Amino acid sequence: MSFLNKLGIGVGSPRTTQGVRHEVPGPIHLTSRARTPGAPAPQAGPSRGAVEGESNRLSNGLKELLWNLDGLERGTLLDLGPAWQTTLSFFIERGFRVSSEDILFAWKSFLNEEEARLKQDFAAGETLEMTPSARATRFMKENLQYSRSSFDAVLLWDLLDYLEQALVKQVVASLTELLRPGGVVFAMFHSKKPEGFQRYRVVNSNTLQMVPTAVLCPPQRVYQNREIQDLFGRYRTMKSFIGRDQLRETLFIK
Amino acid sequence: MWKREDAKSQGVAENSSVASGFGKSQSFDSSNSFSDSSRSAATIGQGIRIKGEVSGTEDLFVDGFVEGKLNLAADCCLTVGPNGNVKADLVAREIVVRGKVEGKVIARDKLQIGSTGEITGEVQTGRLVIEDGATLRGTVEAGRMEVSKADTKAVAAAATSTANKPSPQPTVLGSGTAAH
Repeated sequence: MSFLNKLGIGVGSPRTTQGVRHEVPGPIHLTSRARTPGAPAPQAGPSRGAVEGESNRLSNGLKELLWNLDGLERGTLLDLGPAWQTTLSFFIERGFRVSSEDILFAWKSFLNEEEARLKQDFAAGETLEMTPSARATRFMKENLQYSRSSFDAVLLWDLLDYLEQALVKQVVASLTELLRPGGVVFAMFHSKKPEGFQRYRVVNSNTLQMVPTAVLCPPQRVYQNREIQDLFGRYRTMKSFIGRDQLRETLFIK
Repeated sequence: MWKREDAKSQGVAENSSVASGFGKSQSFDSSNSFSDSSRSAATIGQGIRIKGEVSGTEDLFVDGFVEGKLNLAADCCLTVGPNGNVKADLVAREIVVRGKVEGKVIARDKLQIGSTGEITGEVQTGRLVIEDGATLRGTVEAGRMEVSKADTKAVAAAATSTANKPSPQPTVLGSGTAAH
């Protein structure tokens, strides 16, 4: 039981979340969008039940993140995943000012736009530098534009596994600038190439829900511990939790 | 920090509102759970483009293009339809977004973002409801919001005075809604 639940202020119904519970996979986004007009929308909120294809996992990383953020009067959080009701509600209820930016969706859109622009205008291909690094720089000019030291925590999820390496370096460097000293990044890394694509949302203080969705970007690489340490070299502490589902949850404290 | 009773005033919508807010009707009609059923809504249709400031004292449904400012009185609901494209700062009691919005969004009571809704910009709201699939890019501040009576009166006065002036063109807006 989490620290918050011990105090009786945990959020969401206490459900059995031992290990990882797999159910029949299915793209929840597609079913959500394609539902019959007038039919009730899927319920959201902290006590929302698991929909077909979704599964819950115990998250020691989330628990540790909350422990690190405990005591903040009015924290600021940057969520780089999709804007889920449950996740935003969870942190807003705890007094956080939450910024949301689905960086993977933005990257996908950016690539599509660049491709469309190049198709329309062949000359643009000559003026635009097409190296991965230059493309990442162009992307970063339009994204993650916040003031320095403006966040206490960042939910990075497993996004780094899906981004090009040149972009990963720039994203991590940017996040380091955005975090206040003592701020925390919550990231996840797959220990082997993931078979499906899923997004994550917070159910309660020690449980994440994994939501299978249509693939936004293919996995780029599996990071080894050494590579992760090098990426986050400017952080003073790194703490990892390895799950039975080949997913490592890692906290980086600046 | 993190007290359960505090959470109730922090403006996160209850689950019941999520279920009732989006499922009933795609159009802004009397069956819609978030509007006053006795009132009709002014409409900015799909083929309408407005640049400037729109203010009003009645509910408004935007399915066209608006650029500038959109400011409704304290008890009014604003709905951006699935075809709506709004590049403006929005102020209303309750705002429902099913189309695209770019700008600052202030929903004094409640903001609902439908599965097809996209918001880019800062959000301030009393309560927040997000349907799966919605896109939100910006900062959210949710919690009880103080409604400025002076602001409300100013909006109402501006809308009324403009609505009373004779209009040279047939209006597509309701009597309480004005485009400047």
